Amino acid sequence: MRVLFFAQLKDVTGREAVELPLAAPVNGDQLWALLLQIHPGLAPHRTTVRLARNWEYADMKTQFIDADETALIPPVSGG
Amino acid sequence: MKIEIELTELPIVKTLSPQTGAPGAVVEFHGVVRDEENGRPISALVYEAYPEMAVHQIRRLLESISTRHVCLEAHVIHRLGSVPVGEAAIYVGITSRHRAEAIALLSEFMDRLKQDVPVWKRRSLPPPAATAPNRIGSTGQTPSLKAGPATRSLAGAMAEIQAHCQPLAAVRLPLADAFGRVLRETVCAPGDLPPFDCSTRDGYAILTGDAGGIFQVVDTLHAGVWNPRQLLPGEAVRVATGAPLPCAGLRVIMQENVERKDSHIRVLPRDDATNIRLRGEEVKAGQPLVPANTLLTAGALALLAAAGCVQPLVSPRIRVSHFTTGNELVAPDQTPGPGQIRDSNSMLIHGLLQRFPCEVEQSHLPEDFESAWRRLDGNRINAADLVLISGGASVGDKDFTRPLLERLGFEIVFSQVNLRPGRPLIFGVNGARAAFGLPGNPLAHFVCFHFAVATALARLSGDRAPGFLRGQLAVPLHDPPSPRETLWPAQMEFSGGVIRLHPLAWTGSGDVTCFGKANALLRQPANSGLLEAGSWVDFLPATGNMSI
Repeated sequence: MRVLFFAQLKDVTGREAVELPLAAPVNGDQLWALLLQIHPGLAPHRTTVRLARNWEYADMKTQFIDADETALIPPVSGG
Repeated sequence: MKIEIELTELPIVKTLSPQTGAPGAVVEFHGVVRDEENGRPISALVYEAYPEMAVHQIRRLLESISTRHVCLEAHVIHRLGSVPVGEAAIYVGITSRHRAEAIALLSEFMDRLKQDVPVWKRRSLPPPAATAPNRIGSTGQTPSLKAGPATRSLAGAMAEIQAHCQPLAAVRLPLADAFGRVLRETVCAPGDLPPFDCSTRDGYAILTGDAGGIFQVVDTLHAGVWNPRQLLPGEAVRVATGAPLPCAGLRVIMQENVERKDSHIRVLPRDDATNIRLRGEEVKAGQPLVPANTLLTAGALALLAAAGCVQPLVSPRIRVSHFTTGNELVAPDQTPGPGQIRDSNSMLIHGLLQRFPCEVEQSHLPEDFESAWRRLDGNRINAADLVLISGGASVGDKDFTRPLLERLGFEIVFSQVNLRPGRPLIFGVNGARAAFGLPGNPLAHFVCFHFAVATALARLSGDRAPGFLRGQLAVPLHDPPSPRETLWPAQMEFSGGVIRLHPLAWTGSGDVTCFGKANALLRQPANSGLLEAGSWVDFLPATGNMSI
């Protein structure tokens, strides 16, 4: 699965995206656990960052699979 | 409801012309960048988006809100990249039957946009006043710093470099010194070419309508012999290839087609060929001979020589200042200590610049900003048409290329290209002068030179900028899809009537091993997976001595 980073999260991780191979579907908590293993610097942002799956915001029940395009969405400031 | 959504890096120029009859209400909103934020002056806001999701979410919001506030049309344009103070970052245009729905939809949409649409902004502060004496900035003025970490596509970056770099003032040079320069004025033929009727064969000139079989040879003419005479029927003149013919109305019989005996010839087979190049046949006096912006190759120089143009107006030598940075570098003739490497970028740039008419000065800068600033030679920088700084182009603690260029008076046009390798490429301009901050890794150097620096050099000369050519992949290209375009080092060969490209393995942008073989850069589109053998792909030639 491809996970995209935006805005300040690019600075935190030093990259725009990371490849995260998933053998089985995971929920949001499991996904965060995987991401924090790779980029522990994301930890302070967890409370403010929303997960998005295939251009939709995820909720508690969302399952992520390997073919998904996932993104970490920090607080937005458009307009 | 009809919905149009656009994300753009260009200024928003929009007024709504309703497409659905006479709607009753047209409500438009321009969100404009203020000159301060949280009490601090700013020069611009820099916007970034997750584009696909932003468009998707804007559409969802509009559809959802319009179920409660029924409108006819909605147009939304959000600008990305650097948006200077006073320009619109967002435009929303709504049409409806009555004003209340449109105003309500607009208001709710703007509130929700600021919560849910993945767009982010960063402040771009006005440049700080230089703390060191401004001994280099060209006129002492502070640059108008518009761009933050602005990213460009490969094509966008090339277009912007072309737009910002203008041809340098032309000079007159002796013809023999003008090889490789770009002609900057059209040179017309001073006289007819060829200047007289001449023979294209070794043979015998006779009157065109003379149907006789036996001729008396009355003269012999070689190239350079000018001896006009009016031929009579039954007369022939022996002519060599290139010899001026003695009069008009002639044809030349090839010597292979005559039998000569003493001063007479007998014509054997007759054909219709005249075997004459007529005066002015190639170009007539006053017609353009070599157009402006022609790269002066040996052939073009020869043509100028033929026209007597001995002092052509051409592009000047481009003055290039190249600086390397990085404490890890040692000169190639030294043995690297632990953690050190030999500097290969200086030689790479030196070599790559060979095919351009340049004067290059190269030197090394110390690692920290203030020392580097003191080391810079102001006269040299101010005299340079093009400044190249290798390394220090990313965002690491010690990367100072951008602040250095800014203090030198360069306005940063972009500081990233959505490309691999070569993403952290900085491009700045200061009047007619251009500067690049090249990512330190050698392969990124190689790539950035060919698509970016070569484009600037071509434009400064007045030459055509390099463009992509088409070739076929010789083997499949297996590469995981990347959101960035890739310029793969490749080896091209001409076979079977097409250029075939062999991608070269590279492990990262620091990879130097593929240099020895790479003579092309293969353009792999973003998000493409496997490319089959035989696929047509774009490429840039990357040879030192070939321009197609």
